[in-house]
Amino acid sequence: MNAILLFAFPVLAIVLSLVISSRRKIDLLVLFHALIHSGLGLCAYIERGSLMGMDDLGLFIYLILSVLYAATAFYRLGHKDSSTIKNYRIHSIFLMIFVMAMDGAAMAKDLGLIWVFVEATTISSALLISYSNSKKSLEAAWKYLFICSVGIALAFAGILLLVIAQPEHATLLIAKIDLSTISPFWLKISFVFILIGFGTKMGLAPLHFWLPDAHSEAPAPISALLSGALLNIALIPILRVDKLMRQSGMGDLVQELYLLMGILSVFIAAVFVLRTKDYKRLLAYSSIENMGLIMIAFGCGGVACYAGLLHILGHSLIKAAFFLTAGNALEIYKDKNYENTSGLLQINRGTAWLWLISSAMIIGLPPSPLFTSKFLIATALLGNGYYLYFGLLMLLLAVISWAIFNVGLRICLGESERKKSLSVWLYLAPAGLLLFAALIGIFLPVMN
Amino acid sequence: MLEILIVIFGLSLVWASITNMLGTIIKILVMQGIILFGITLLKTTQLNWLSFVTIALETLIFKAILIPWFINDTMKHNQMRREVEASVSNFFSLALMSLIFILSFALVAAAPAWSVKLFPLEFGIAFATILKGIFIIIANKKLITHLMGYLIMENGIFLLSLSAGSELPYIVSLGVSLDIMLSVLIAVLFIKRIRSTFDEDDSPETLRED
Repeated sequence: MNAILLFAFPVLAIVLSLVISSRRKIDLLVLFHALIHSGLGLCAYIERGSLMGMDDLGLFIYLILSVLYAATAFYRLGHKDSSTIKNYRIHSIFLMIFVMAMDGAAMAKDLGLIWVFVEATTISSALLISYSNSKKSLEAAWKYLFICSVGIALAFAGILLLVIAQPEHATLLIAKIDLSTISPFWLKISFVFILIGFGTKMGLAPLHFWLPDAHSEAPAPISALLSGALLNIALIPILRVDKLMRQSGMGDLVQELYLLMGILSVFIAAVFVLRTKDYKRLLAYSSIENMGLIMIAFGCGGVACYAGLLHILGHSLIKAAFFLTAGNALEIYKDKNYENTSGLLQINRGTAWLWLISSAMIIGLPPSPLFTSKFLIATALLGNGYYLYFGLLMLLLAVISWAIFNVGLRICLGESERKKSLSVWLYLAPAGLLLFAALIGIFLPVMN
Repeated sequence: MLEILIVIFGLSLVWASITNMLGTIIKILVMQGIILFGITLLKTTQLNWLSFVTIALETLIFKAILIPWFINDTMKHNQMRREVEASVSNFFSLALMSLIFILSFALVAAAPAWSVKLFPLEFGIAFATILKGIFIIIANKKLITHLMGYLIMENGIFLLSLSAGSELPYIVSLGVSLDIMLSVLIAVLFIKRIRSTFDEDDSPETLRED
């Protein structure tokens, strides 16, 4: 029954949307899909049962996606759109396909299937990014599609190497892989390919080039889903193969690679947040930074893995809220250059406060859950003797925090005579996400 | 015969390293497509007929005919310059190709004997093709050359999937199905749209930051 609802409803909604000629009705269909999505996730969580065989990691990522999808579906109710109904319909259809592909990746336990679903997310979201059809958005979509395709192709090579690593009874079902007969040599090479391949999709340096363009050119609800949900989806296959590596006694290599890619990502983000004038790009670089932090957390292992999961949750909620708020700012100023935008507190107080709160929470000020996760990561780095990484990370985080707050203050402060009001949904959706993140920060989940 | 085809496939990579003309790379893609078809044909005892038909369709129709034709057509319509415009010299490219070959064969030679059920020549060439594709993407400026590099890389992955296909046949279909989907997407949706939207055929921004 769950499977029918989860996959058949969006298919039905897609068919229905082909004959609907009202934007409002299409929005309601998407909202209904989002609510069914959340409802199923909630049932699975409350019953402590798995949704269609999903494991804990899959359910965790699925639930985050549910919350973000619901928030963006509500946000769409107030989002003004100047495109034709035909384009809007295609956009909504691909949004539902995109979510279905992410659901599939969260649920699948076969690495080959996960790969297919991740590839499907690339194709469907490329069309969402190029929605405005401007030269910049097409270029961003091309860059995204191309670089992620290269990454996905490398990940596929990694999967092939995993098959080669099993001289007897090769399988891609993670639970059925026989570690006693697996070749550590090929497994190691396979992991490197899978890490680089899916790491590209996660926006990890050095193959992160697509992310700032794609996240800044996409419409606000899509940026929120790309940053808050899709990056997590790309982490799933890495963590699944990570388990095999650790069980095969190659945890040290995994940790070193994670730490290296993590710190490099934070470094890249720190360099470019200082250079960019585009506030949506700034948020995109912040996503690269946070993906780096998540990798550092998993690289430290132990209690830091809990910090990694908490960071995934916190970052998804806060960054999605931030992107939705940035969408409001874009609606007000029609300009993404923060040097041309000021006085937001006077023009639209609600958006200004959302911006300031998002800034505070994304850099990890309490009650943000990122405060705890960053604290735990720092402690783990010190505890494991990674003093150099610790020092470098603190320095880079200080730079990024300064840049984010500086931009926030420049946009919000200043004089302006203008007043601009927005639909209530444009405040409620990001505010709801921030409130949820704050509640998680205050009532932290118990660590097992 | 299989060995000869694989060696010719490997030689096509050397050819790709010393050419400056886009047309030659298209010819290389056609050649690789035909060779892949030949390799598939020789391996039919290891693959079932459904997989064989799918792969033959992809290798001959897509890799050897449709995609090269499409790239050629795009170049003609956009009146693109025929040179590759690489960032490195042919000498450097050839030297690096040699290194790639050494690395690929060293990798398979370094693997413990019990874990190698592959044909080392096939694996070495497949691996070298993947790396060569990545190198073409990195070392060139043009969007169309990036696409060619990607296609060469995909050919390498295809060859690798043929090696692994005997272990897990569905993996071949998996790669093939998405390869077709991706090719169609690139061909129909993006290049056509980019052609009508962008002023120039070059896309120096593709791999550049900020």
